Amino acid sequence: MNHVDIQPRIPEPELMYSGHLACPGCGASLAMRYALKALGNNTMVIIPACCWSIIAGPFPYSALGVPIYHTAFETAAAVASGMKAALDQQGKSDVTVMAWAGDGGTYDIGFQALSGAAERNEDFLYVCYDNEAYMNTGIQRSSSTPFGAWTTTTPENHRKERPKKDIVGILAAHRIPYLATVSVAYPEDFIRKFQKARSIRGMKFIQILSPCPPGWKTADDQSIHISRLAVESRIFPLLEIEHGEKYTLNLEPEGISVRDYLEAQGRFRKLSEQDVAYIQNEVDRKWEMLKRQVS
Amino acid sequence: MSKKITFTSIADLPPLVVSMGTTEVNATGSWRYLRPVYHDKTAPCIEGCPASEDIEQYMYWAARGDFDKAWEVLVEENPFPAVCGRVCYHPCESSCNRDHFDQSLGINSIERFIGDHGLEFSLDRFKVAEEREQKIAVAGAGPAGLAAAYHLRRLGYQVTVYEKEEKPGGILQYGIPRYRLPKHILEAEIMRLERFGVEIKTGVQVGKDIPWNEFLQHDAVFLAVGVHKSRKLNVPGEDLDGVIAGLDFLSRINSGEDVSLGKNVAVIGGGNTAMDAVRTALRLGSTPAIYYRRTRAEMPAILDEIEEAEREGIPMEFLVTPVELIGENGALKAMKLQRMELGEPDESGRRRPVPVEGSEYVVEVDNVITAIGEQGDFTSIPEKLIEWGVVKSDAFGQTEQRPVFAGGDIIEQPHTVVHAIGSGKKAAMAIHAYLNGGDIATLADKIHVGNKGGVSFLRFRDGHEGDPVDNHEVVTFENINTSYFTRKDRHQVPELDVKTRITNFEEVKGTIDREAAMDEALRCFNCGVCNMCDNCLVFCPDVAIKRRDDRFRYEIDYAYCKGCGICVVECPRSALSLVPEGK
Repeated sequence: MNHVDIQPRIPEPELMYSGHLACPGCGASLAMRYALKALGNNTMVIIPACCWSIIAGPFPYSALGVPIYHTAFETAAAVASGMKAALDQQGKSDVTVMAWAGDGGTYDIGFQALSGAAERNEDFLYVCYDNEAYMNTGIQRSSSTPFGAWTTTTPENHRKERPKKDIVGILAAHRIPYLATVSVAYPEDFIRKFQKARSIRGMKFIQILSPCPPGWKTADDQSIHISRLAVESRIFPLLEIEHGEKYTLNLEPEGISVRDYLEAQGRFRKLSEQDVAYIQNEVDRKWEMLKRQVS
Repeated sequence: MSKKITFTSIADLPPLVVSMGTTEVNATGSWRYLRPVYHDKTAPCIEGCPASEDIEQYMYWAARGDFDKAWEVLVEENPFPAVCGRVCYHPCESSCNRDHFDQSLGINSIERFIGDHGLEFSLDRFKVAEEREQKIAVAGAGPAGLAAAYHLRRLGYQVTVYEKEEKPGGILQYGIPRYRLPKHILEAEIMRLERFGVEIKTGVQVGKDIPWNEFLQHDAVFLAVGVHKSRKLNVPGEDLDGVIAGLDFLSRINSGEDVSLGKNVAVIGGGNTAMDAVRTALRLGSTPAIYYRRTRAEMPAILDEIEEAEREGIPMEFLVTPVELIGENGALKAMKLQRMELGEPDESGRRRPVPVEGSEYVVEVDNVITAIGEQGDFTSIPEKLIEWGVVKSDAFGQTEQRPVFAGGDIIEQPHTVVHAIGSGKKAAMAIHAYLNGGDIATLADKIHVGNKGGVSFLRFRDGHEGDPVDNHEVVTFENINTSYFTRKDRHQVPELDVKTRITNFEEVKGTIDREAAMDEALRCFNCGVCNMCDNCLVFCPDVAIKRRDDRFRYEIDYAYCKGCGICVVECPRSALSLVPEGK
């Protein structure tokens, strides 16, 4: 076969280095790779306590080709607000500031700082790579953990009975200029949304469903497959919301059974038939709600 | 790779905790216990093709609109793409993995487009060796003989093909009707061979016009004289006027003779000759019908041909066999038929038809065309080469007598054009090995594609060095990641409407257009072969997959690859494998 012209599917420059300390098959590491490809090197990253505190490497090494500021668990949004203000003072307003937090640092511990920054409409991008539990400390439940999922603090005889917190709904209620969900299984959509976020002034929030092989009890090679099943089963719709009002559904999958998504993961191993039916029902109901919001 | 940073004293430390190097100091490849490797495999269509066309590769080029390159890939293995694109029974399509997804790829229609695209192309680019002195003679200018001549010529040999008929082509010239294969298409592909230096001498029968001993004076000879003696019905009345042997009938029509048939024409048989004869009779203005002793399911004809005959309104009477042909003054008047029923399976695996006592009935017929099979006429071939009505040979066409090789319908293999072409290619390789003091059997492992006996000329001539290929691992549908394909029906082939076509010998099926050919080729899964879709590169969480420096395909940086295996699972076409580390 001869040489053919290559049309790269995603931007070619890499701003993440090999040798980072993510587990094999980590969705969060792939997510960072895409995010920086989209944002480019004129970017600063704020990382509160989360898996990425470790993935980024120990002093004096870094996994990213852009500056990282490591900060305390509850402070990502506050630090990002401050960093943006400082850059503005220096006349460096073209720098994109990205807070990069897990679900623990977003839904729970960093929530007040996030809500405050959103309400003030601070000009930065807040990204939650959502792996649905405190994975870095040993898979403890967070308010993002879905109904019925096993974690070390919701063992099978004492499982999580509450649904996952609706962080998208909460941020939409803050009426921020831009809000989106992305999946590592849809890289083109992922990168487009980060590029769009970069072009918008004010508060941007992006949620990434981020598969975690050890925490979700899946094989390392299944991360993309499971991400895709989450979207195809409508558990994780790919959407954009502008100013809390204008909803766009980026993909309308035919809708496979939630069972396909649940059965692919060890953390849902003990779900009963009724549980699966309940989850399906909830997913269908929310999808209908979403469809009404889109139209 | 970033350098390891060592602080020897407090004074070496930076005033703030800032990074001074990259994580590339961590060779995370040491975590790996499974190793992804790029590993091309064989697509099932290629295994399914008796001529071992590299279908996957020509689909790759066709999908990109490079039909010159597609033609080159195709003709590397088969010099008759425009012919095969019309007459092949395309077992590639029944092997196609896409069949389990929506519909198999329209390989045959793309092959035809490519063949027509390159109809005027020269074969000169396929010459792979300097001229050689050795002279090779081929008996029979049918698909097997011409395919052998082509490949031998490529290897530099001086090849002469002897054909007893007036024109070359064998079954393609005299058997297959023009409405399936127009003469100018066949002649273009044969003339191309002649311009390539293959000498064809027509009107010369080996064993008669050239004595056998003289024929054997060549450095090697290839026998591919075909089988054209129609089997007899062995019923009373077979000598009556109006009873015609199927192949004779087709041959006369194909030679431009006027054959006058009566109104009611009975064609006996269920194979391709029967279908060709019955559809030809229809075009001559008769009212023909098929009489077959088993059911439609057991008919050996290509399904397409059966369907076309049905579409043309030809009645088919199943489970009947003629027991007597009845004449009046030496001319055929009627045919006595007996009903059959299916009994136990016979050696062909099909259920054996058994006569039903007392079920005889008579139909009025003006002609009976017999098409119940053909057999070889081996009167000119030495007896010791024959066994059970075929020329005894091994998988590469080597007979027990050197330097005699054989192929096509006279050896034991299915009687199809594409099997004939495949056998010609195999014999050419065997002859080359023989003339160079080698044994083709020692190369078998290197040149086989798949596990059904097909061989690749490309691998024969250059060993296909470079990217690792597993010739024998055939990709199954389970190996395909269907998430990356959307369901789409195959393109329909244009064809003449029934009313128009049955009045003449115009070609029934058309060639799809360029756009349709590209579009259809894009449906190809490209099973087992990297087509640079970028999935592995895009989905690597460890930035361990890079485009190669020449920007052709990718390489894995094993210093960092953690062996998660995402690239292997997300490869749509199984061009990567995961192997245990340390093996």
